[in-house]
Amino acid sequence: MNSTLIFQSLISGVMMGSVYALLGVGFSLTWGVMKVINVAHAAFGLLAAFFAYTVFHRYGIDPVVSLVLSVPFLFFLGCALYRFLLIRITSARAVIVSSMILTFGVAIILENLALLLWGADPRLFTTSYTSKVIIVGPFYFQYPPVIGFVMSVVGISSIYLFLKRTYVGKAVRAAWQQPEASQLCGINLGRISAITFGLAVASAGAGGVGMGLLYSFEPHSHNLWLIYLFLVVIVGGVGNVLGTAMAGLIIGVITGLSMAFLPYQWVNLLTFGLLMVILVVKPQGLFQSEV
Amino acid sequence: MAIALIGLVAFPLFGPPVYFISFVFWVFLYVCLSSSWNLIGGYAGYLSFGHVAFFGIGAYATAMIGKIFGLSITMTLLATIPAGVISSFIAIIVGYPCLRLRGPYFAVITLCFSFVSQLTVKNLEFLGGADGLWLKSMDVPVLVNRTIFYELMLFLTVLTVWVSYLVGRSRFGAGLRAIKEDEEVAQTMAINAPRLKIMAFALSAFFPGIAGGIYACYLSYIHPDVVFDVNMSILQVLMALFGGASSWVGPVVGAVSLTLVNEGLSTFVKAELARIIYGLLFIIVIVFMPNGILEFFSRKRRKIER
Amino acid sequence: MRRALLRKNASTLLLFGLSLFLVATAGPLFASQPIVIGGSLPLTGEFAETGKLIEKGMKFWAEEINAKGGLLGRPVEFKIYDDESNVGKAVTYAEKAITVDKVDLLFGGYPGTAARAVMPVAEKHKFVYVSMGGHMKSFEQGYTFSFGAPPLMGEWWYEGFFQWMETIPADQRPKKAAVYTMNNPVGSSLTGSIQKWTKQLGIEVVIDEKYNLPLPDATPLIMKAKQLNCDMLFANGFFGDGVMMIRAAKALDYNPKAILQGIGSVVPAWIKELGKDGDYVFSGTSLFNKLNFPGNDKLNAYARKEFNIDGYPLYFGFGYAWMQALAQGVEGAKSLDQTKIRDWLKTNKIETIAGPMTFDEKGLPAPINFCTQIINGQVELVWPLNVRTAEPVYPKPAWK
Repeated sequence: MNSTLIFQSLISGVMMGSVYALLGVGFSLTWGVMKVINVAHAAFGLLAAFFAYTVFHRYGIDPVVSLVLSVPFLFFLGCALYRFLLIRITSARAVIVSSMILTFGVAIILENLALLLWGADPRLFTTSYTSKVIIVGPFYFQYPPVIGFVMSVVGISSIYLFLKRTYVGKAVRAAWQQPEASQLCGINLGRISAITFGLAVASAGAGGVGMGLLYSFEPHSHNLWLIYLFLVVIVGGVGNVLGTAMAGLIIGVITGLSMAFLPYQWVNLLTFGLLMVILVVKPQGLFQSEV
Repeated sequence: MAIALIGLVAFPLFGPPVYFISFVFWVFLYVCLSSSWNLIGGYAGYLSFGHVAFFGIGAYATAMIGKIFGLSITMTLLATIPAGVISSFIAIIVGYPCLRLRGPYFAVITLCFSFVSQLTVKNLEFLGGADGLWLKSMDVPVLVNRTIFYELMLFLTVLTVWVSYLVGRSRFGAGLRAIKEDEEVAQTMAINAPRLKIMAFALSAFFPGIAGGIYACYLSYIHPDVVFDVNMSILQVLMALFGGASSWVGPVVGAVSLTLVNEGLSTFVKAELARIIYGLLFIIVIVFMPNGILEFFSRKRRKIER
Repeated sequence: MRRALLRKNASTLLLFGLSLFLVATAGPLFASQPIVIGGSLPLTGEFAETGKLIEKGMKFWAEEINAKGGLLGRPVEFKIYDDESNVGKAVTYAEKAITVDKVDLLFGGYPGTAARAVMPVAEKHKFVYVSMGGHMKSFEQGYTFSFGAPPLMGEWWYEGFFQWMETIPADQRPKKAAVYTMNNPVGSSLTGSIQKWTKQLGIEVVIDEKYNLPLPDATPLIMKAKQLNCDMLFANGFFGDGVMMIRAAKALDYNPKAILQGIGSVVPAWIKELGKDGDYVFSGTSLFNKLNFPGNDKLNAYARKEFNIDGYPLYFGFGYAWMQALAQGVEGAKSLDQTKIRDWLKTNKIETIAGPMTFDEKGLPAPINFCTQIINGQVELVWPLNVRTAEPVYPKPAWK
């Protein structure tokens, strides 16, 4: 096994993992702070990808640029979803369980709306830079994964900074750590929740476009994406923004290394098997949950 | 109750179109799967998201036993029992490390387990690999064939629901509920939580194992993508939760209602629209009954009685 | 008096009964009740793309035959269920069509795994089942009611390509091949012919690997092929992974003499979405829109009008061809009796848009060996010679 191949596999693994992390970070946030498992998360991402596709083919606007439109839209969609639907189940005994059923319904609706609006054909982003590469020594960096990687770094760090540095972000964290106390301080829990959820859904949009840069997508693709983001979020520790990012990289490295050393037939098997081992050894995920 | 049961047993004898027998077979299958899932997922609160693994393992174990020993299809059907035992056995091995995990971590590790088992079957040539396995089919008229599978699945389903009922009323079940409530507290109450969890997990893998075997013979062709289908995992969880996972009735109500609604939609509405209505149904039901159908109605009744 | 009344009543009753009987039996003769053709297709879920195309192909056939006065003089009508890409559902819907809707004919389903599970059901119910089948293994199970007209047969898929390759002087043939195959029934049905032919043509298989879907990334695969100087690439995958292979090959500037992409490149999205990068890929097919057999131009005109593309999509053609075969069985047997239809199909020649066919005891026509190549954004037939629409481009030009 030669080192070029190993490093090349690692590079592509890391880029890929970072996009999974971008897709997963919002999912982790709603789960960790609001105890809402949003199984429609990837479906929202898919929606953004389809939107980007249409905008690109109609008006020639780059998929990444289209996020300027779709992210705010998804933010309001997420807020609305919380205000009108999710708020009604906050009284349930197990919010996690009820939220899963509710958002499962949302996911089915989104998938089939996409099927109605865009049809079942697989789609690709074929832009001017699709097959361009940056060559550094013996290594190849393809543009789309690099763009995905940059999007991920920007997206995740801005969410992180938002939570740590801004007033609203601090309120979000306070609201979920000490609901009663924060309410006394005049924090409106309902509004904060809506913002959190909107933010998470909006980040899914960025993740969806990132996935579209890497893979082809169809209306049912979100099911597959959901599995990967589940893994990333769990390994990273639920609710832990930076942990999610790290987990994306780790999963990328695992995949990359196994592609270099194993017959490809066993790559996916090893990825899932190793994740089982990680979870057994570190039952709370590799990184502590935090908000 | 007894009359209803006799009615179900006798149903195929009235000679309905074969499809109805097959359809009710499917309803039974889902009742069986979600009821046995409920043993670990509902009672103990350990949401297993990869329960289809045991269904698939049962299907493949049955098919392989039949193939290795060159059994006739009738004998292969008997092989579903050892297949169920194999499922349970694997559940014990997997459950031992996995059941130490809590909540979402357990959900994900079981999900991973179902992928691992699916991919293992796909990669092993002697299990038919990615090509799947063909089983012998029964050399009897269609109606008789379907009736046999119907009665078998009915028997298994009744058994599963009955066991679920018994467990729910037993000390074992009380122990599981205590674990769901608060595992630490349960431990201090002299409940051997690890043992109870393993037992519940093994039991909840036994019935899907047999069901998988029966399904394999019913379909007479199995493929890893079919019997390890992740959608099946998710569906059985949703059915139990939809009905209400705290008692044995919930999964039955959930499985029957969702299968019927889905079938009705597929029959009367156009493809995507049917799916969209199906999705809306989940939202509407959960918004008005956040704790599942069953609890909603029992609470209502309690109110009236008061 | 009373008796007379009774007798009168009895006679009116009899008359009434008789007329009822007459109406009931003569009804179909006068109103010509439609022939109902039923079954399921994946209209939502994973295989929705192909399911929908097949549905359109079947409906186009129905439109056409109804305009011509129908089948056996009766109009045809479809009863199509959506099996949500679920094999179990495909089986129960086949039974529903047969036993509840009491359809007159069963139509063939998709994909291979579903066809594999529905074939035994059709056999049990003794219903003729014309479909793509589930590759060679499914036709070797001894079913007598199943036909592939034409089948989607992985075992035959590259046959034409290799026959053409044989005509290339030995020193110009590729020397080393990299074979990457997805690990599913489609993929494994392709490998047999690759092994046989590469040996025969003296091509060394340097890499022979399977991968499970979803393929996380294709770059390492392509890099390995490049490092080992493989001048022939088999990318035996669906659309998603096929695209990744091609894009990685371009990014890494990997230029084998020939690229074969089995199944993914036959969907319209390949040309539409991938654009120029999808060019020069070889594949096989069992029916094709540029064939000269009667009917193809009609389908192409329809595709131009309805989908705005040149040349009908493959699966659209499949849906149409299966119905053609079934219809000829019915017309030939002059009855809706399934056994008669089957026997007629087994002993007579039929004409389809994929050409004339006769069926062997497995229900298969003679092996089909069309080889296609995508040239300038068009799928062209390059083999066999008598149907060739363009000269193959070989070796593949370097990436631009």
